[in-house]
Amino acid sequence: MTPKIPHESARKHVTGEAVYVDDMLVNNQLLIGKVVYSPHAHAKIKSFHLDVARNLPGVYAVIRYQDIPGENQMGPVVHDELCLAKDEVNCIGQAVFLIAAESEEICREAEKLIKIEYKPSEAILSIEQAIAKNNLMGPERKIETGDVDKALKKCKHKISGSLTTGAQEHWYLETQAAVCIPGEDNEMKVYSSTQHPSETQAIVAGVLGINRNDVVVEMRRMGGAFGGKETQANHVAAWSALLAKATGQPVKIRLFRDDDQIMTGKRHPYLINYKAGFDNKGKLIAVEFELNANGGMATDLSFAILERAMFHVDNAYYIPNLRVIGRVWKTNQPSNTAFRGFGGPQGMAAIETIVDRIARQLKMDAAEIRRRNFYGINDRNLTHYDQKVENNHLKMMFDRILHSSEYLKRRQDINEFNSKNEFKKKGMSLTPVKFGISFTTSFLNQAGALVNIYQDGTVLVNHGGTEMGQGLHTKIQQIAAAELGISFEKIKLTATDTSKVPNTSATAASSGTDLNGMAVKNAIDKLKSRMIPFIVDHFNEKGEIIKSQIRAIHFINDCIIDSENPARKIDFAKAVNMCYIKQVPLSATGFYRTPDIYFNREKGKGKPFHYYVFGMAVSEVLLDTLTGYHKILRTDILHDVGDSLNPAIDMGQVQGGYIQGVGWCTTEECKWDEKGNLLNHSPDTYKIPSIQDIPEDFRCSLLEDVPNPSTIRKSKAVGEPPFMLAFSAWLAVKDAISAVADHQIEPEFSIPATNEVILLSLEKLRSIKKQ
Amino acid sequence: MNSCIGFILDEKLIEIDFSKERKFTPTTTVLNYLRDLPNHKGVKEGCAEGDCGACTIVIAELDGRNGLQYRAVNSCLIFLPKLHGKWLITVENIKNPDGSLHPVQQAMVDYHGSQCGFCTPGFIMSMFALYKSNLPNTRAVIEDALTGNLCRCTGYQPIIEAAEFALQDRKPDHFSKIEKEIIAILKKIVLKSMQMATDRQKYFMPVSVTELLYIKNQNPDAIIINGASDIALRVTKKYELIPSIIDTMQIEELHVIRKSIDHLYCGSAITLNQLMEVSREWYPAIYEACSVFGSKQIREMATIGGNLGTASPIGDLPPVLAAYKTDVVVVSEKGARIIPVDEFICGYRKTSLKKGEIIKGIKIPKPMDGTIIKFYKVSKRKDLDISTVSAAFRLTPDKEKKINEIKIIFGGMAEMTKHAVKTEKFLKGKSRTRETIEQAMPILEEEFTPISDARSSAQFRSVIAKNLLLRFFDDLADT
Ligand SMILES: Cc1cc2nc3c(=O)[nH]c(=O)nc-3n(C[C@H](O)[C@H](O)[C@H](O)COP(=O)(O)OP(=O)(O)OC[C@H]3O[C@@H](n4cnc5c(N)ncnc54)[C@H](O)[C@@H]3O)c2cc1C
Ligand code: FES
Ligand code: FES
Repeated sequence: MTPKIPHESARKHVTGEAVYVDDMLVNNQLLIGKVVYSPHAHAKIKSFHLDVARNLPGVYAVIRYQDIPGENQMGPVVHDELCLAKDEVNCIGQAVFLIAAESEEICREAEKLIKIEYKPSEAILSIEQAIAKNNLMGPERKIETGDVDKALKKCKHKISGSLTTGAQEHWYLETQAAVCIPGEDNEMKVYSSTQHPSETQAIVAGVLGINRNDVVVEMRRMGGAFGGKETQANHVAAWSALLAKATGQPVKIRLFRDDDQIMTGKRHPYLINYKAGFDNKGKLIAVEFELNANGGMATDLSFAILERAMFHVDNAYYIPNLRVIGRVWKTNQPSNTAFRGFGGPQGMAAIETIVDRIARQLKMDAAEIRRRNFYGINDRNLTHYDQKVENNHLKMMFDRILHSSEYLKRRQDINEFNSKNEFKKKGMSLTPVKFGISFTTSFLNQAGALVNIYQDGTVLVNHGGTEMGQGLHTKIQQIAAAELGISFEKIKLTATDTSKVPNTSATAASSGTDLNGMAVKNAIDKLKSRMIPFIVDHFNEKGEIIKSQIRAIHFINDCIIDSENPARKIDFAKAVNMCYIKQVPLSATGFYRTPDIYFNREKGKGKPFHYYVFGMAVSEVLLDTLTGYHKILRTDILHDVGDSLNPAIDMGQVQGGYIQGVGWCTTEECKWDEKGNLLNHSPDTYKIPSIQDIPEDFRCSLLEDVPNPSTIRKSKAVGEPPFMLAFSAWLAVKDAISAVADHQIEPEFSIPATNEVILLSLEKLRSIKKQ
Repeated sequence: MNSCIGFILDEKLIEIDFSKERKFTPTTTVLNYLRDLPNHKGVKEGCAEGDCGACTIVIAELDGRNGLQYRAVNSCLIFLPKLHGKWLITVENIKNPDGSLHPVQQAMVDYHGSQCGFCTPGFIMSMFALYKSNLPNTRAVIEDALTGNLCRCTGYQPIIEAAEFALQDRKPDHFSKIEKEIIAILKKIVLKSMQMATDRQKYFMPVSVTELLYIKNQNPDAIIINGASDIALRVTKKYELIPSIIDTMQIEELHVIRKSIDHLYCGSAITLNQLMEVSREWYPAIYEACSVFGSKQIREMATIGGNLGTASPIGDLPPVLAAYKTDVVVVSEKGARIIPVDEFICGYRKTSLKKGEIIKGIKIPKPMDGTIIKFYKVSKRKDLDISTVSAAFRLTPDKEKKINEIKIIFGGMAEMTKHAVKTEKFLKGKSRTRETIEQAMPILEEEFTPISDARSSAQFRSVIAKNLLLRFFDDLADT
């Protein structure tokens, strides 16, 4: 394989030639769609008048829920999310009416002409309020192992507390967008910036009241997604489809940044209560977690996310007695949704907080406490849901990174620095990641592909995965090239298309390459096994004494060869042409399902994951204790991707994921006013990391020589796990705060640790210290 | 009156006559103009407010020395008339005529600087402007030039590496080859007094202060714009139609910088980047304020006059200019007046400009030897963020290291930039001990009642304010 090849679209990215949904040249009949949304968190719609807006020149349609020909529904799993509000609105940003007009300007004028009268009622705007009102989204979940209550009672050391983690806005650079073009009869062609074309197809068919075979969804590339376009891209597609249907013309909706931030869901805020018991050596004996998620106004993926959070409250640690209870609370906010890590970060933040506290309490180094609690290789290797942690690299990685980061020496330097500086403190933390790979809803672990070989020896590959920047298409192209033994340039991938590969799962759960790569391989295997007998015949045509055998045929270097008689070879393109003449079908579909995974929700036991990914990071920060500013001085990362399919792309995921995690942990803050208005609805006040926020010294490496047994070319998924390496930076900040009170007092801390959170925590420590 | 602007795009002279034009108005942004063309969709909208850089383009203009100066700017905040007499360069123009990639593009490919690619055209443009500058390829320079470009995918590391590589060895590129021709075309575009009127809007571009004042008198409600980095948001975010605008871009008198032995004079339309450059030597605190002001792209547009004109309580220049005892020169048809910055800003977004007056420039005295002036800005994100709290300190110690004179000016703590009067009074004449400072901190905390908003809580602002006092004196300990 040619490993470090650039992203398949890199050249188009740098020249501006890459086409995104909003860049498409449609015809001059294209109309612009706009969503009129609720300004109230909870209200009854008393009356409205649409006629004036409808009569504005340039306006082609103004529609409301009665105008929906199909089902007024766009909930992906549970059907509890209306496409357009009926007589009540349940969050600010909920779609009420849709406008199609010649231009954005006319849309805005028309919006001003719509008079709606609302009667606001009481709204639930936080987890705490939802708990007080007992407003559950659904039944609580539980996973338990051992006897937590008994074990806790016996523990010598105990801690308890709570942790809040904040909402995170996806802030994909490309906001949600879709273009719908009506066709013959009922047909609708949808160009959507979606991670899940099959679901977009289903929802569009649903709202239009037509069959799925009438809808084709095409997706070439997204300008970032991160989970934000897994379910919520469906909304924009459904709305533009409704307008396209109503007007009979192509319609484009692209959300303005502020509208996107106001209307779409975020990473779920969590409120986590915990109790933990441990021994003198800092070993965890029993832990109880209560996870409370803010689900927003509808279910969306909240329960799957909660489930993953519950699976990851152990992170890398063996906890013999563990109980985790999970609840999703319904609030009057836009439905929260998937975001890289999918609950994993929230669950892991809780256990990392506990381990960090244990170290402070026992006055031991936190890295050492972590090491002591790692899952074992031969024993102490069963998770709370009974899956065995196999191919565990934790200890090996710990030893390596401890050494390569010079952790112990730097720890001394830091202590020395801190003793000499009153207002500048340094902090450092080492944190591990163990992350389970697979959709935890087991049946979703399936993928399809379509591979066509053309007579000139070039190959067209389609699969169900979508390209959002993660390099999926590049990896698939590499996989196809390697499996067919032909050069990379001979392979082309085109837009993901529901009419080519049907019934696909979302490109999510880091599984894009694992699933689709295997499906593509499956298709290629079929094609090869169809071609090989004809190649053997061809080699044996000349009547050689030693016959070529099927088992010896290999596809390599743009040729097909008999490895036992290497002189016998044929150019791939020639072989293809020959097969065509012999009437061999040169197009095949491929399919893959992940074997042997299952999970019993009632019992809370099973093997939900195909395998685990491991990672480890050490971050060091410098904190100005008067302003709360910190700078990441150095970060060392060692990350496991199995046999890397493309180290450059994998490294990109590791670095990018880490920085996105740093954003969630530090500067990215969502606040709402008492009416439920999001205060940080634009990049003016919502702050993702800038180029100056990355570590001054950033050292990342991929763990080598650790092939993953049963995946495509022995690789591992990479999308989500690195996100959680950011806890090293988060806890390094806490370590620096803690230094102000000589690590004697437990600082208050939460996610995000904005400079405000940091400074107020410092103030508190200082005042306790004074007393 | 002339209503036709001329600029170069795709190496051709483009003319837009607003008296005839149907599609575009004088307040159409360059971003919307470009995205409306079939072949310029490389430029992206990520925010329409100057915060993401996806819309970055490069504007090249005559540098007055027979060469061209290339500046990366946010096309989402630029009104079309501001292109008059300039060369608009977009990402589509960057690759070499033979189709091969420009060094900045090739490096971004080779170092894997793009993932989803949506931010990439903007980064390419910022890097291209840097390529055409004579700034070194240090990490600090690169970070500064790319702060205005957000990327959600890469974590920036590969982008920094790409920039470091591409800027190592800057050979002449295909732009260098056609510079002469371009300069010749640009020189032919006459800078002349213009008035672009549509049925709903008037946009004036006078060429002298006298003319500006006359127009202002005739159109008392007209809004004056320098860089428009503030005013443009009313169009791009609030969708306002501004009926009457006077743009100072063509007025040379407002673009002068004069350094004399005891002060620096800057015209109102001097940009923050220009100010940053001239303040490096005499006014380190102004330099510091500029270096954390917006992004490089914003600083190419934002001006001194505009910053004072907004009179925003969180504007960064008023506190630091006050610490330097800066005077604002204002002028009307009746003549000029000089107002100390402290008095110039007189309320929430209120200036003491009288009817018909405009900001002509500022005069910054050179501080006496021994005077220490520092500026601090605290915001949620360190760079490209608006101040939560900012503070400027001026200290003149006497021989015994006593506090002879102290000025403490805060932004973000009240409805306008404000002196900590009580604290100043308390500290004056005292010796510079830790004890004194600690006594002063609660006084400072008491004298302000800040607000809570999207950026932070009131409590945080109070704590920060008193801590900055300590930070200032702690930093002095090193000097
Ligand atoms: C992304 C972004 C980041 C920013 N970051 C910062 C920051 O870090 N710190 C900060 O302080 N500001 C910041 N700003 C705000 C703004 O850029 C500055 O206030 C800038 O200095 C305004 O200058 P301008 O020339 O662009 O103003 P304009 O928009 O042209 O004008 C602003 C105001 O001043 C008036 N005015 C302009 N010229 C004159 C004149 N000659 N006489 C009288 N009145 C005049 C105008 O009528 C208007 O009311 C930021 C803005 C953006 C969009
Ligand atoms: S679009 Fe974001 S800076 Fe212009
Ligand atoms: S590559 Fe996706 S935002 Fe930069």
